[in-house]
Amino acid sequence: MKERIISFIDDKLKQFDPVWLAENGKGGQRTRYRDDGSGIARYREWRGVEDTFQDYTAWLKNLGYMGAMVAKDPIKVMKGIWEYRWMGSFLASFAFVDRIYEGYRGRELDIANIHGNAIVRILTLRIGLILHNDKRLGGGEMTDKMIGLDETIPPLFTAGFPTLNAEPMQTMPEFVVCDVDQHLDPYYIDVAESYGLAPDVCSRCSAETGVAIDDAFPVFGKLVLSTNQPCNASEATSMFQRRRFHQKGIEDYPFVFAMQHNTKNGNEYSKEELRQAIQKIEEVYDVKYDWNALFEKAKNMNHQNQIELEKWEIFATPYSPLSGINESLYKLVEWALVNGHDEYFNEIDDKVIGIMRQAVRDKYVPYKGKTRHRAFLWGPSAMYYTDFPTWAQNCWGIDIVLNMDSTMGHNMIDTEDPEQALEDLAKFSEKGVMRHHAVGGWDNVNAVWEWANRLNCDMVICNDNVACKGMNGVHALLEEQAQQLGFHFVFLPHDLEDCRTIPRKEIRKAINDYMSIVMGEEPLDATLVDFDDAEAW
Amino acid sequence: MKKLIGFLFKLVKRIVLIGLGAFVLTFTIYMTNAENKLIYDVVRPFLTKHYDNQARDRRI
Amino acid sequence: MQDLKYTLYFETLLEEANNELVRKAVEEGDIALGYNCYYIPETLLNLPGTFSSRLRAPNCSQTPIGDYYLTNRNCPYTRAILERAVEGSYNYLSALFGAEACSAMERMEEHFEQIAPVKHDPFVTTIIDAPLKSDRAALVYYMNELRDKVVAKVAELGIDTSDEALLAAIEDHNEVSAIITEIGDFRKLDNPTVTGYEFHLIQLVSEVCPHRLILPYLRETLEEIRNRTPDPEPAFRARVILAGSEIDDPEFTKLLEFCGARVVGDRYCFGSVPSREHLDVRDSESPFEAICRHYLETNLCARFMSEDKIDQRTDVLEAMVKEYKADGVVIESMKFCEFWSYDKVLSSHILSEERGIPTCQIEKDYTLTGAGQLRTRFQAFVEGLEIKRLETTGKGAQS
Repeated sequence: MKERIISFIDDKLKQFDPVWLAENGKGGQRTRYRDDGSGIARYREWRGVEDTFQDYTAWLKNLGYMGAMVAKDPIKVMKGIWEYRWMGSFLASFAFVDRIYEGYRGRELDIANIHGNAIVRILTLRIGLILHNDKRLGGGEMTDKMIGLDETIPPLFTAGFPTLNAEPMQTMPEFVVCDVDQHLDPYYIDVAESYGLAPDVCSRCSAETGVAIDDAFPVFGKLVLSTNQPCNASEATSMFQRRRFHQKGIEDYPFVFAMQHNTKNGNEYSKEELRQAIQKIEEVYDVKYDWNALFEKAKNMNHQNQIELEKWEIFATPYSPLSGINESLYKLVEWALVNGHDEYFNEIDDKVIGIMRQAVRDKYVPYKGKTRHRAFLWGPSAMYYTDFPTWAQNCWGIDIVLNMDSTMGHNMIDTEDPEQALEDLAKFSEKGVMRHHAVGGWDNVNAVWEWANRLNCDMVICNDNVACKGMNGVHALLEEQAQQLGFHFVFLPHDLEDCRTIPRKEIRKAINDYMSIVMGEEPLDATLVDFDDAEAW
Repeated sequence: MKKLIGFLFKLVKRIVLIGLGAFVLTFTIYMTNAENKLIYDVVRPFLTKHYDNQARDRRI
Repeated sequence: MQDLKYTLYFETLLEEANNELVRKAVEEGDIALGYNCYYIPETLLNLPGTFSSRLRAPNCSQTPIGDYYLTNRNCPYTRAILERAVEGSYNYLSALFGAEACSAMERMEEHFEQIAPVKHDPFVTTIIDAPLKSDRAALVYYMNELRDKVVAKVAELGIDTSDEALLAAIEDHNEVSAIITEIGDFRKLDNPTVTGYEFHLIQLVSEVCPHRLILPYLRETLEEIRNRTPDPEPAFRARVILAGSEIDDPEFTKLLEFCGARVVGDRYCFGSVPSREHLDVRDSESPFEAICRHYLETNLCARFMSEDKIDQRTDVLEAMVKEYKADGVVIESMKFCEFWSYDKVLSSHILSEERGIPTCQIEKDYTLTGAGQLRTRFQAFVEGLEIKRLETTGKGAQS
């Protein structure tokens, strides 16, 4: 009975379902959007009764997380929104979640919303914590017990300081928020360039520099660990950031890793650096490192990585309801931000792997079987176009099976012997965001083909970050390799965090041209081929 | 007893009505994308104006 | 002043990488070992039977092959080197020892292995991972990398890498450094007897030619400068220190001096600071460790992250300004250079705003394209320095 009612309603409301519209040549995803380039939909996506209600409850849950953040300390949150431009950008979070999971149905949507809720939960918790303890906003009980970490330092090792709290410095003001609002970082980039910084440097680091110059970092802790990860510009921007931290009375300590990981010398050096970073924290905060506390959280991380390895096996099959941005954004947050510290993410992993196992047993074909190509997305992706994989699937049936950054450190960490744990942690930590494969030698970057083969991909989409000197330096070699190995290969130009250099529309054009001219294919949804979202968040 | 049942009935009715009202309200906001329209058209322009007029301690 | 006897000869030697002296040394059986970056100690490559060759790409104005492999959005120095490599300019090399000091350099050096542009048998390429700090752990890492990827590879070429051989290389380094340092010290005179351009030539030939063959010319040039009569009146309006990244084209120094400046100090890659400091072997050290420590201590690369090394960059510049009585500093960065773009802004800010030293920041290509714009910038800077001096001392030209 219930099914008949649902089926009846679905049939009656199908003209509001963009997937049905596209299938029947009556419109598509963009039909429901305003025509002003704002990226604001006139109404939300009707996904059928069950999926719409599933999405609605996930939306309510996100609303609840945000409400809880405000309710915990409404004054600090309001002060934060008033003080920090980047806090204003987080208001675009609802639209962001809609954008990245557009077109999702069934089990893909189930996982997406489980992940989406987990991401919103952790971000609201962390933003709330940062604002509550921000000295600029009055400070809190944890203010002097917080450690600032460069966002690309994996925070697992700080679990050995259970009385302290390590927070990434740049994640909220510049990094994650660029996913949410493409127009934020250009402001900070302009600030940096107005002080003479060249426009050809990496836009992520330029934006971080702008945040420092604009005095827009939250203020907490006694120590900030800067790092050389992932690359040259990260090293360079830390020179500016440290000055701002010093002005706020916060010490800085460069915690560097071997650039050439996977070497004996490099691993030994990273291990020694890790040991010294721990000593530095002990000195500054007058605390002792607790190995047992580390081991507890390392178990979480190992569990996460065990599941990750199983996920990779499922990704190789045609039955994975987890892919694209759903996979990579969650992985990024879980690995780079949580990094074993929060057991809740283990529960999420268990739940998701359960759905995936069931999908394999059922031979469930995701995306209504519309996938035409399985692609590996290589190189650091455009932060201001997080929903690119979603668009690629909806428009051309390109399933981004895995993203380079999802291959971050996945070695197991010893949970009994401190010395072995240190070595494992060093290996684990030096394979961080935008780091594992993008720098450190040709073999790392050339591993793309092995990954693509392993996951049964026929296509490699290579992010072409115009300011990334390291990836620029393998341009021709990668292209020649693709030809020799017989992969469909597309360069995807972007400027990482500056949406003005190469707007989203231009990014899409690279794929549109390849798919229509080289592959001779027709789009699945014609409304997605060419549209204006220049003013969208 | 009758009074209690009457009270409980009223309470349940109220909860159901409030729940239904909340559902209608939130589902309407959800489907019409009202919160995003409000933020995009009203809140963000206001905040951006504020941010643009902020005096910040800009320096290297 | 009268031209130096070997100015023209030095200019000719800098016309191509495989110059007359390089060819002669190779013909005589010496092994040529190439490098790009100060992170590779020149001293380790000047062992008995080998000579170091710091790679330049003179007159390379077009880089279509370099652009193809590295894109035209990458460091023009690395593109030019790769271009010249593919053209066959470095076929005299038996090895290229690279350093992952920056991504652009590392990628370019990788191409020496991946596309094998150097037609020489044998030819090896290795790339060390260069440390970002100067503490003991960094030194140990640096030593391990240099031992495994440079010394071991040189030994495989049949070269003696014993302590005795390294001590001989240190002696060679110190002799060249003593000569260059003494020549450079003439720039400290109120009326210097060597121009910035001439010094740039001398420093460059000492980096790209086999030491045993260039040393006689350097010795003779030093003697000539010792006895040189300066112009009656200084032929410049301001004294400047030139700092920055890869500046291996003496025409750039000439351009700056043509605008009325005298380059009295050179703190850039390919310059004498760092590179021509005396190398000591301490009692507790092996010659190898001494070389590694020396190069790590003196290295002023913009990529260092530890506080001591960050401060060292501006402290050295400030000290040079005092020592060489400079009126200001010109800080250069190469287009697409991440490190120097940042350091140029930061050092310029520290020097001008916090230490009161006038500073001019410029960005340039590898070759002297855009010379017109640079000329305008330099003229304005020199004029500003001159006005400042007039206001403070009432004196016009330097005396």
